[in-house]
Amino acid sequence: LDHRSFPRPLDGDVEPNSFAEMYPMNCHSRYLRLTTSAIPNSQSLASRWHLPLGAVVCPLAETPEGEEVPLIDFGSTGIIRCRRCRTYVNPYVTFTDSGRKWRCNICSMLNDVPGEYFSHLDANGRRMDMDQRPELTKGSVEIIAPTEYMVRPPMPPIYFFLIDVSISATKSGMLEVVAQTIKSCLDNLPGYPRTQIGFITYDSTLHFYNMKSSLSQPQMMVVTDLDDIFLPLPDDLLVNLSESRTVVEAFLDSLPMMFQDNVNVESAFGPALRAAFMVMNQLGGKLLIFQNSLPSLGAGRLKLRGDDPRVYGTDKEYALRVAEDPFYKQMAADCTKFQIGINVYAFSDKYTDIASLGTLAKYTGGQVYYYPGFQSSVHGDKLRHELARDLTRETAWEAVMRIRCGKGIRFSSYHGNFMLRSTDLIALPAVDCDKAYAMQLSLEETLLTTQTVYFQVALLYTASCGERRIRVHTSIAPVVADLGEMYRQADTGSIVSLYARLAIEKSLSAKLDDARNAIQQKIVKALKEYRNLHAVQHRLGSRLIYPETLKFLPLYGMAIIKSIPLRGGPADASLDERCAAGFTMMALPVKKLLKLLYPNLFRVDEWLLKPSADHDDLNNVLKRLPLAAESLDSRGLYIYDDGFRLVLWFGRMLSPDIAKNLLGDDFAAELSRVTFQEQGNGMSKKLMSLVKKLRENDPSYHPMCFLVRQGEQPREGFLLLRN
Amino acid sequence: MADMASMDPEGMDGVRMTWNVWPRTKVEASKCVIPLAASISPIRRHPDILNLDYAPLHCRCSAVLNAFASVDYRARIWKCPFCLHTNTFPTHYHSITQDNLPGELYPQCTTVEYAVPSSVPGVGVQFDPRTGAPVGPPLPPPVFVFVLDTCMIEEELGYAKSALKQAIGLLPENALVGFVSFGTQAHVHELGFSEMSKVFVFKGNKEVTKDQILDQLGLGSSSRRAPTSGFPRGAQNGFQSSGVNRFLLPASECEYTLDSLLDELQTDQWPVQPGHRPQRCTGVALSVAAGLLGACLPGTGARIVALVGGPCTEGPGTIVSKDLSDPVRSHKDLDKDAAPYYKKAVKFYDSIAKQLVAQGHVLDLFASALDQVGVAEMKVAVESTGGLVVLSESFGHSVFKDSFKRVFEDGEQSLGLCFNGTLEINCSKDIKIQGVIGPCSSLEKKGPNVADTVIGEGNTSAWKLCGLDKSTCLTVFFDLSSTGSNAPGPANQLYLQFVTRYQNPEGKNLLRVTTVTRQWVDTAVSTEELVQGFDQETAAVVMARLTSLKMETEEGFDATRWLDRTLIRLCSKFGEYRKDDPTSFTLNPYFSLFPQFMFNLRRSQFVQVFNNSPDETAYFRMLLNRENISNATVMIQPSLTSYTFGSPPQPALLDVASIAADRILLLDAYFSVVVFHGMTIAQWRNMGYHHQADHEGFAQLLQVPQEDSQMLVKERFPVPRLVVCDQHGSQARFLLAKLNPSATYNNANEMSAGSDIIFTDDVSLQVFFEHLSKLAVQS
Ligand SMILES: [Zn+2]
Ligand SMILES: [Zn+2]
Repeated sequence: LDHRSFPRPLDGDVEPNSFAEMYPMNCHSRYLRLTTSAIPNSQSLASRWHLPLGAVVCPLAETPEGEEVPLIDFGSTGIIRCRRCRTYVNPYVTFTDSGRKWRCNICSMLNDVPGEYFSHLDANGRRMDMDQRPELTKGSVEIIAPTEYMVRPPMPPIYFFLIDVSISATKSGMLEVVAQTIKSCLDNLPGYPRTQIGFITYDSTLHFYNMKSSLSQPQMMVVTDLDDIFLPLPDDLLVNLSESRTVVEAFLDSLPMMFQDNVNVESAFGPALRAAFMVMNQLGGKLLIFQNSLPSLGAGRLKLRGDDPRVYGTDKEYALRVAEDPFYKQMAADCTKFQIGINVYAFSDKYTDIASLGTLAKYTGGQVYYYPGFQSSVHGDKLRHELARDLTRETAWEAVMRIRCGKGIRFSSYHGNFMLRSTDLIALPAVDCDKAYAMQLSLEETLLTTQTVYFQVALLYTASCGERRIRVHTSIAPVVADLGEMYRQADTGSIVSLYARLAIEKSLSAKLDDARNAIQQKIVKALKEYRNLHAVQHRLGSRLIYPETLKFLPLYGMAIIKSIPLRGGPADASLDERCAAGFTMMALPVKKLLKLLYPNLFRVDEWLLKPSADHDDLNNVLKRLPLAAESLDSRGLYIYDDGFRLVLWFGRMLSPDIAKNLLGDDFAAELSRVTFQEQGNGMSKKLMSLVKKLRENDPSYHPMCFLVRQGEQPREGFLLLRN
Repeated sequence: MADMASMDPEGMDGVRMTWNVWPRTKVEASKCVIPLAASISPIRRHPDILNLDYAPLHCRCSAVLNAFASVDYRARIWKCPFCLHTNTFPTHYHSITQDNLPGELYPQCTTVEYAVPSSVPGVGVQFDPRTGAPVGPPLPPPVFVFVLDTCMIEEELGYAKSALKQAIGLLPENALVGFVSFGTQAHVHELGFSEMSKVFVFKGNKEVTKDQILDQLGLGSSSRRAPTSGFPRGAQNGFQSSGVNRFLLPASECEYTLDSLLDELQTDQWPVQPGHRPQRCTGVALSVAAGLLGACLPGTGARIVALVGGPCTEGPGTIVSKDLSDPVRSHKDLDKDAAPYYKKAVKFYDSIAKQLVAQGHVLDLFASALDQVGVAEMKVAVESTGGLVVLSESFGHSVFKDSFKRVFEDGEQSLGLCFNGTLEINCSKDIKIQGVIGPCSSLEKKGPNVADTVIGEGNTSAWKLCGLDKSTCLTVFFDLSSTGSNAPGPANQLYLQFVTRYQNPEGKNLLRVTTVTRQWVDTAVSTEELVQGFDQETAAVVMARLTSLKMETEEGFDATRWLDRTLIRLCSKFGEYRKDDPTSFTLNPYFSLFPQFMFNLRRSQFVQVFNNSPDETAYFRMLLNRENISNATVMIQPSLTSYTFGSPPQPALLDVASIAADRILLLDAYFSVVVFHGMTIAQWRNMGYHHQADHEGFAQLLQVPQEDSQMLVKERFPVPRLVVCDQHGSQARFLLAKLNPSATYNNANEMSAGSDIIFTDDVSLQVFFEHLSKLAVQS
C-alpha cells in the first residue's frame, strides 16, 4: 500500500460551506454542524447511510472580530415565538396576511404578529423593516430575556474554590501556583462588580474562610466532623469580590505559607465537596476543585482500584472507567440542580480515580484538567495559563439549552458533558466557548414530506453582566431521497466528533476492544454501502473508494481508535490518563478534536535559519506535513502540535549550531533532562515566538513543550503517535 | 476566748464549730438538736502560720505529726493522738529536743504549711548549675480557657470583650491562655496559628464526647501523627500532647493575638427568628473547653472562665426553648415539675462536672443578663469544681466588671486562686464524717471514720477541691459512732485534723495541716459546758446550709416548718422556763441571738425562694456555702448601721423602726449594700448644703457611710451591688425588703411621723418570738 496515496487532512478541519452559500441566513458552522447537510427523507434511507445522523453544537463558539452575534432587545413587544412549538422568530419564518400573521418554519403554525412588531410587506412578501431586524436575517442572534425567563433574579458570576492542601498539594507547588494565579486573575474575573468568590481548603479536615469585607484578615474556620458536615457561618463564606478584595488578597497571599509545613496526607474530599455545595446552593456558580490525591476520608472515599491488568479483556473491564461510588453522580446531579458547574483539576502522580472525580465535571457541564505528577517547575506555566483561561473566559451562567427541529425528525440522544433535565433540555450550570455538544437525530415518520427541515438551538443563560439572554442559532437543511447526496453533503468533522463521543461512551460500558471494533465496523459498513452504490453505477470492482467528503474518515477513525481513551491495553495509557482524556474529548469542539486526532507536523529548521523573523510568513512555516516517518528528515527540526502538547523533534543530524542556539550548553544532553527556555540569541527568540504564536492560536489549553531527539526511546514513541 | 473570737473568730485554724464541746454519745448528740458540724477554711491566710520546707511525717493511720502528739525525746518516738500508735522518728528528726522542736510540734502551731517538692514521675532530681542545690522541675503554669458567649447585643459584647482584654493583661506572663467563643456553634481559637485567625468549629446542637473533641482538635491519640522522637511524653511543658500548645499559649505570647481577635470578634452571625431567642450552645462550648483542658496533664491547674449572656437554647444543656413565648422556668415550674428541660440539663452539666473533677479543673461562671441564663442547672459544675460564680444584669455593671477584674488582679485584694486541692480529714475514734457541704466533690475514700448517713458530699474521708482560694469554706458534718465505746473513757480530748494539699497561684505544691482538739463532755450529767460551747453564728449558718441542701434534694421538704420545729426543740431543750408558762421563758445568752437568726433565715432568699428566680437562688446558695461564717451570717441577717449628727456610726436594729428622716442607714445584705438617706438628709443634700463651708459636719455625715460602703465593696467577692437611695425613692425597696416589719399597714396608725411602714404580711420578729415562747414551753 502506498502511503503517499493515502489521503491526509493536511489542511486540518474543513468546515462544510456549500450550504452556507445556498442558505446564507443559516447560522455559522462554528455553532452547529450536521453530520450531513442532506437529511434523508425516510427511515430506510437513513438506515442505509450507516454513518451517524446528528449534529455537533458549540453554542458559544468564539467569533472572529466583526462577526459578533447581534444583541436584540424586543423590549415591551416581548420575544416573538411560535405559540405552539415555542420556536424563536428567525430568518425562515414567513409573513402573510399583509404582515399581520407569521408562519412558523418548524411547525407551520400561523401566529399573530403583535401590534408593536408589525411591519408592512413589500411586493415580494418581505417585511419592509427587514434591514433593521437581525433576527429575520441572521442565523445567530442573542435576545435579551425579560423577567418571564427568570425563576429568580439573574445570579452574579460566582467562583468557588475547593483546594486540597495536604502534603502533596504543598510539596508539588500546586498550592502556590493556584493561589498566585487566582490572585492575578482577580481583576479579570467576569462580572465586576457583582462577582462573588469563596474558598474551602481541606486535608483530613475542612477549612472555611470568613471573608467578610469589614475584617482586616480572613478568618479560618476548621470543621472536623466529617460525618456531619455543617457550615460554620451563615454568610461571608462566599463574598462579593469587589467589597472583600483586600481580605481575598490577604488570603491568597497567605495560603501557600499557611500550609507549607502541613504533613497531613489525608483527603476529606467528599465532605469538602458537600460543604462547598452547602455554601453554593443558594446561588450556584462555578466550582473549581484542585485535588492532589485519592479521596481518603468521609463520604466519597475511594479505593485504590488501580490498573489491574487482569481485569482487561473481561466483562468487568469497563467498571474501572466509571465512578464506583454513587456519591459522585449524586453530587453532580445535586450540583446541576442548583446551578453549580464543576471543573476538576487533578495533579497526583499516583492513581486518583479520575473516573470518579471526573463524573462531577461530566454531569455538571464542566471539564477535567489533569496534570499527572504535577511539579510547579515543570507544569506551573500550563496550570497558570489554563486556570487563568478558565477564570477569565466569558461564561454563560445558569444555562439551559434545547435544540428544536422540524416535524418528522427528532433528536434522540445527546453526547457530552452535561445532564439532561428533561428528554430534550440540557442543563448547563456554566458554559463557555470551549464546550461542544453532540446529538443524534432519528426520523419519526417513515417519509418526510417537506423539502427542508429546520434546526434551532436556543441557549437561555445569564450573562456575566447580569442580563438574562437567549442565544438562538437557526439552520435549514434540505430533505433528500438520494443516498449519494447524503454522502456528498457529509461533514467528516461532525461525524468524527460524534463517533469519538460514541466510542468513548461505549468504553464506559464495554471492553475497549468492543468500542474500537464498533467504530471500525461502522466505518467499514458505510464505505461498503457507498462502494455498493457506486459499484452498481460504475462497476468499480473491489477498489476501496471514498466519497470526496469522507476521504479522511478512515484515517480519523483509526486515530480515534488510537486516541488515549481507546488505545491498546493497560500498558498503553494509565487508567487515570485514559479517563481524563475521555472527559476532555467528550467536550471538545470539532476543530480541536480533529487537531488532537491528527496533529500538525511541520519543519522549522530551515525557517529558523532564514534571516528575517517576519511573523507574517507563519503560514508558510506551518505547512503541515503528513504524519509519517517519511516526513521526518534526520537533518531537520520539527514541531508536532496536537493542541495539548508541542513536541520538538530534533533530527539526529540536525546542525549542532541550531541545537546549541536553541538549547544552550545542554544541547548534547539527553533531552528529557533539558529545560526548554529562551536563550540569548535571535534563533532561540524566533522559535520561542513561534511557540508563543502556536499557543495563542489556540488558547483553550496551554500545550507544554516536550523535547525529543530522534531515536530516543521509548520517549520518542510515547510522544509521537504512530500514525 | 470570746474576746479573741470577736476579733478573728476563725483564728489561725480557720475552723468554727456549732458545738465547741462534744457530747460523748450519739444519743446525746442527737439531743443537741443542732448537728455537730465544723465550718473550715482550709487555706485561709493567717500571719502566724508556720511555713515548713520539708515533707510532713505521717502516722500509719495517715494522720500527720502535729502539736498534740506526745513526744518522747529520748526514745525518739511520738504517739499519734488519733490512733494512739507509737511512731519512731526518722533519722533526720534525731536532733530534736524539748528546746529544739520542729515547727509542727510548737504547741501554738496547730496549723502549719509544708512546701512539698513537686515530683514528676520519670524525672529525677535536678541540680541548679550554679549553686548545685537540688531544684524541682519548673512549676506548671496556671491555665485559663476563656469561654465567651457571642449571642449578645453589640454593646454587651463590647463590655465583655474589654473585660477579657483587661483580664488577659493582668495574667502572669507564663499563664497559658486558651479561647473559646460560642453562639449557634462553638469556636475553639487556635491562638498559635500565626497566618490568620483560625478557629475549630463545633456544631452547637450535637453532643460530643471528650475523645471526639480531642480528635477533632487534632489532639487525640489517633490523630497524633507526629514522629515518635526521643521526647518522653508529658515532659514538654507538662502536657500529654504537644499539640495542645497550638491552643494554649503563654499570656505574654498571645496577648496581642487575642486583642486583635477580640477586636474583630462579632456577635453571633446566625439569624435569629423574630420572637425567638438566639441559638446559644453553652453546653457544647463548655464540653469543648473541658475537652481541650483534658489534653493537659491532670494536676495542671486550669480553669474555664465562662462569660455567659443568656440561656442555653441549642444542643445539650439547653434550659429553655428558642420560642420567646416560653419563659425560662421559675421555682413554681420546678415545683410542679413543669420545667421540661431542667432535669436533662442538670444531668448534662453534672457530666461536665464529673469530667472536670476527674481532670482536676475548674469552671468559673460569669453570668450577666436580664433574664436567667441557667445558673441553676450549671451550679453543679461550678460548685463541685470549686469555681467562682458572679451573677449580674449586665457585663457593663460594676458587679461583673469589678468582680472580674478582681479574679486576675495581683496584690492585696487578690483572690489568690489555687488549684488542684484535696482535703483529707482525720478524726478521733468514734467520730464519723457524714459529709461536706461546699465547693468540693468526693474522692470516695472509705474508712472507719466514714458515717453511714450522708449529708452533701459523703461516703468519704477525702475530697477534691479543683479550685480553692483563701476564702473557700466547707462545712463538715459529724456524727458519733453508735457501736463504739460510748462510756466515758480516759480520753477527754477529741481531735480533728484537716490535711489540704493544693497548688498555689505560682504553681507550688503546698500541704496545709490543721489539727484541732475539743473536749468531750458528759452531757447526760450536765449541759452547762455544752451550752457554753455553742456558737450561734456558726449554728445559724450551718442550719442555713443544711436547709438549702434539703430544699434542693428532699422532695416536698417544708423548710419553714422544719426550721420552726428545730428552733422549738432547741428552745425546749436549752431554754429556761416553767412548763406551759410562756412568760417564764428565757434563753441563756449563748443562745439569745439564735432565734433572731432563724427568724431572718426563714424570711431570707434561701428559704423564700419564690421571690427569686432559680438562677438567683442557685447563686445565693453557692455563695452561702463557700463564704466564711461572718459573711454567711450577713447573708442570712443583714447588718444595719445608722449615721446621724453628733454620734459615731452605730449598729441599728434590722427593723423598720430604725428609719428616720435625719439618719443615713447603711445596710449590708452581702449581695447588696444600700446607703439610705432619710428624707431630711436627702432634702438638704439636694439643696447642696454639703457644698457650703458652714455645713462641714453635714458633708462629713454624707461622706462617712459612702466610704464605709466602698470599704465593703472593695473587699468582697463577688462585688456587691451598691445602691444609694433616698427614703421614699424607688430604690428604697432594697432596704425595706430586709427590715423586720415591726410596723406594717396592719398597725400603721400607731406610727410616729418620719418613720416608715412596710407593706407586708410577714410576721414581725416580736410576734415570731411570742409564738416561739408559747410552743417551746409546751409540755
Ligand atoms: Zn412552531
Ligand atoms: Zn495515727
